Amino acid sequence: MKKSKLNIIKHPIFLIFSSLLLLIGALLVASLSQAVSLALYIVALLAVGHPVMLDALRGILRKDLLDEKLLMCIASIGAMCIGEYTEAVAVMIFYSVGEYFEERAVKKARASIRSLMEICPDTATVLTDGEEVEMDAEDVETGATLLLRVGDRVPLDCRIVSGASDVDTSALTGESALRSVAVGDTLDSGTVIVSGVLTAEALRPAEESAAARILALVENATENKSKEESFITRFARWYTPLVVGAAALLAFLPPILRLAPLSECVHRALLFLVVSCPCALVISVPMAFFGGIGGAARIGVLFKGGNVFSPLAKSTHFVFDKTGTLTTGEFSLKEIRALHASPDAILELAAAAEFGSNHPVARAIRAAAKCTLTATDVKELAGKGIIAQIEGKTVAVGNKRLMQSCGIEASSLCEGATSVLVAENGTLLGEILLSDTVKPEAGDALSSLRSLGVKHLSMLTGDGENAARACAESLSLDGFSHSLRPEDKYAALQALLSNKENKVAYVGDGINDSPSLALADVGIAMGSGGTDSAIEASDVVIMSANLSRLPSAIRIARKTLRIAKENIVFALAVKLGILVLGAFGLVGMWWGVFADVGVAVIAILNSMRTLTSKCK
Amino acid sequence: MKLKFSITGLDCPNCAAKLSAMLEKEEGIDSAKINFLTEKVTVETALAESDALALVRATAAKFSKSVVIE
Repeated sequence: MKKSKLNIIKHPIFLIFSSLLLLIGALLVASLSQAVSLALYIVALLAVGHPVMLDALRGILRKDLLDEKLLMCIASIGAMCIGEYTEAVAVMIFYSVGEYFEERAVKKARASIRSLMEICPDTATVLTDGEEVEMDAEDVETGATLLLRVGDRVPLDCRIVSGASDVDTSALTGESALRSVAVGDTLDSGTVIVSGVLTAEALRPAEESAAARILALVENATENKSKEESFITRFARWYTPLVVGAAALLAFLPPILRLAPLSECVHRALLFLVVSCPCALVISVPMAFFGGIGGAARIGVLFKGGNVFSPLAKSTHFVFDKTGTLTTGEFSLKEIRALHASPDAILELAAAAEFGSNHPVARAIRAAAKCTLTATDVKELAGKGIIAQIEGKTVAVGNKRLMQSCGIEASSLCEGATSVLVAENGTLLGEILLSDTVKPEAGDALSSLRSLGVKHLSMLTGDGENAARACAESLSLDGFSHSLRPEDKYAALQALLSNKENKVAYVGDGINDSPSLALADVGIAMGSGGTDSAIEASDVVIMSANLSRLPSAIRIARKTLRIAKENIVFALAVKLGILVLGAFGLVGMWWGVFADVGVAVIAILNSMRTLTSKCK
Repeated sequence: MKLKFSITGLDCPNCAAKLSAMLEKEEGIDSAKINFLTEKVTVETALAESDALALVRATAAKFSKSVVIE
């Protein structure tokens, strides 16, 4: 980092010196003798051009005759030979200035993309024998005790040992929502402590922690090339030899045919050499994707490669998993159907019986009831429910199978995946219906997808028909399949993919979803807390599991692709235009410099637009 | 073994492609990949880390003086 600046610092001095000499030469052109002005120009050329010439020599040594620096030198020295002194020096000056700006632009682009990803501190405060020690995050060993204060970023994944706090995970998820944490909770690296003081036990080394894994994912993403990038790389391989070949033809063919004088043709051909560097082309496209990946990371959307943008942008079908993807995975009370007791009494009995259970259904019932009763002699029957003694009575809370084993006829009641029956001393009191809550943003997110041109939205779920239908209807999905095993989901997706017109995105979060995520044209994993295998199998990860990120991701993908294409067309059009104009002698060599570095700078700046993604 | 070094001072991705081709021709380096945007060079090699670093540096020096590898 530090040393590469040398290049830039050295340039201005030589540049100014050289430009002055050029100016003197131009002003005094009449009064100076031929020899003196030639010497003046040679010194000026060497002053500004020596770094380029040295690199050109290295090019010759490694037998790379198409080295851009070498071609630049040939162009410049060639111009001297045919007496175009001013142009020779000016081209070298412009080239150096242009390179300087190109380097600046690249640096700036890199820095702004990186700043989006600076989510983890380099140092950690470790408590050793009661003493605070500041050390490199990389040197902290698993099991060490970390001290975390207000404003700190968590350096490595850890588990809280003492204290309680509010934390902000926005660096990881792109979503600024505070979360309360206490002893026993785990913290991902990159999380910011908003209040309180914590001590925590390091669970993983820094390089395996959440923030580092995300960074690695994003950095590796630039290596998965998009179609556009591969095209431009292939093109670049042919471009230089083609242009140099054209230059040779242009220089020597017309004079041989006696159509034009040699010096004029050579002069025009030299412009070709200046334009022959494919850099503007080669840099503009990957830069656009790099920017897109960085901009998306900022709002918690991780693209696993440049190759993901196009399939996502073109998705026609979105297939969703239900629980955890379309719904929060948390249940809420929907209805109580009372037969022989008041609804409140039924709920209270159920809550008391389920007191010790950590099942999502039990939690939902407890949350809805005010619990004053205590249950004793609680027996949990796996896959059925609970039987307990409450105030001297035997209470059964569970599904139809539990009722049957108690000898209670329950077939007359409505059944769904999430119905809980409550009986007391052998009499059915009633039924509690629960629904899995649809995520609050789901409706808006799905209608945004439709307005972006997604034709078909559907759901594949392992849940029963009633629960699936309720969810599908509330979101006006185009279709759903229920009671599916993972392999059924896979088969359903295969059927959809068998029509090549369909570009299918699959959105899911569980281990069950991994095969489907891998199979779909685009697999989108919901949630950083999602299972590793789901994240591994997917092409895009939505860190926050927020559905509204899906339309954002499509918009980013489309914008990035558009900018990449703009860059390709712009760079090619300018280069070609200047080559044609130059061939007819209509533009001078400095236009060649513009077509090279000028276009590169403009393309890089254009690429940076991918960073400003709207976060709706 | 895969080794990763930082590489700065390259002018453009085209130069990066040329340098990685040069690296791959070196004895002891099985594959070399330069990511111009993230400024990382990844080499697959049986050499020890210090030897690999020296080799990459020497090769880069043949390419351009301004390239720095760390």
